[in-house]
Amino acid sequence: MISEEELQSKVGYRFPGGEYLLEPYKNWLTNDVVGARNNDNDLAHPMFCYYAALNSMGVSLEELFAIFDATSEDGVMFGEAEIELKRAMKPGSTYVISGQVTAAQRKKSKKLGTFDLVDFELNIHEDDQLVGISRNSFIFPRELTDASE
Amino acid sequence: MRQNKPSVGFEFPPYVVGTVDAEKMKTMAALLQDPNPIHWDVEAVNSLGLGSRPINQGPNNMAYVANALISWSGGISNFRGLKVRFLDNVYAGDHLTVIGSVTDVDHVDDGDLATCEVQLVRGTVDSGDIVMAGQAVVLL
Repeated sequence: MISEEELQSKVGYRFPGGEYLLEPYKNWLTNDVVGARNNDNDLAHPMFCYYAALNSMGVSLEELFAIFDATSEDGVMFGEAEIELKRAMKPGSTYVISGQVTAAQRKKSKKLGTFDLVDFELNIHEDDQLVGISRNSFIFPRELTDASE
Repeated sequence: MRQNKPSVGFEFPPYVVGTVDAEKMKTMAALLQDPNPIHWDVEAVNSLGLGSRPINQGPNNMAYVANALISWSGGISNFRGLKVRFLDNVYAGDHLTVIGSVTDVDHVDDGDLATCEVQLVRGTVDSGDIVMAGQAVVLL
């Protein structure tokens, strides 16, 4: 398990970032999957704020977990997820994704034992204009036996 | 249809998602390039002790709430934000409904910005389980 000092040192870590092309067919299929209407596809489903950000932050989830000395087999869980849109995204547009780790805390609970709560924020820009923000938190279980301490 | 004069405490119409379809999870797994087999392989779900039905992707559950807000507010362009906590897994075959109410209203140039408490409920609205909860902001 990484030390609390190491954990804190990850705050501010900047993701490599990348570009995301919002393919019209992906919007159509997403609408179909989640039961949204497909009769007006000038605007993309709001969840593309999440899909674009996570897809193009520049590291895979497994690589993200590795930054915190964990793998998906450690039972990493989603804590909270947030999307904020300044304006609707559009199928056919290309967006630039950037972001960083914004907080990291070591905590204890009866259910999870010792765990680390890591927050990160990803920004979505188009032509230097901020379009949306995706904020997420992951829970990294560390030592279950600590729960009884 | 745009709503007029939202007020604190107003409950927007329940949005019936319907029954969660395992086949849709397979499509989303491919779209998201999500290799986690709990979304399509019942044996994998079983082996993890998580039950006997595929588990829905968390973003799908967020999308249902976004759909409800879009339906109520009148369009995608009125959607401003959604923040959620995942409280329980959603399984294939679950019947879901989105409910919510206005907690704050801010008058802005474009209209009224309504902050809402939102919940995704499994089973009946009155006595079902809350599987996801959070806050949302829409322009009305």
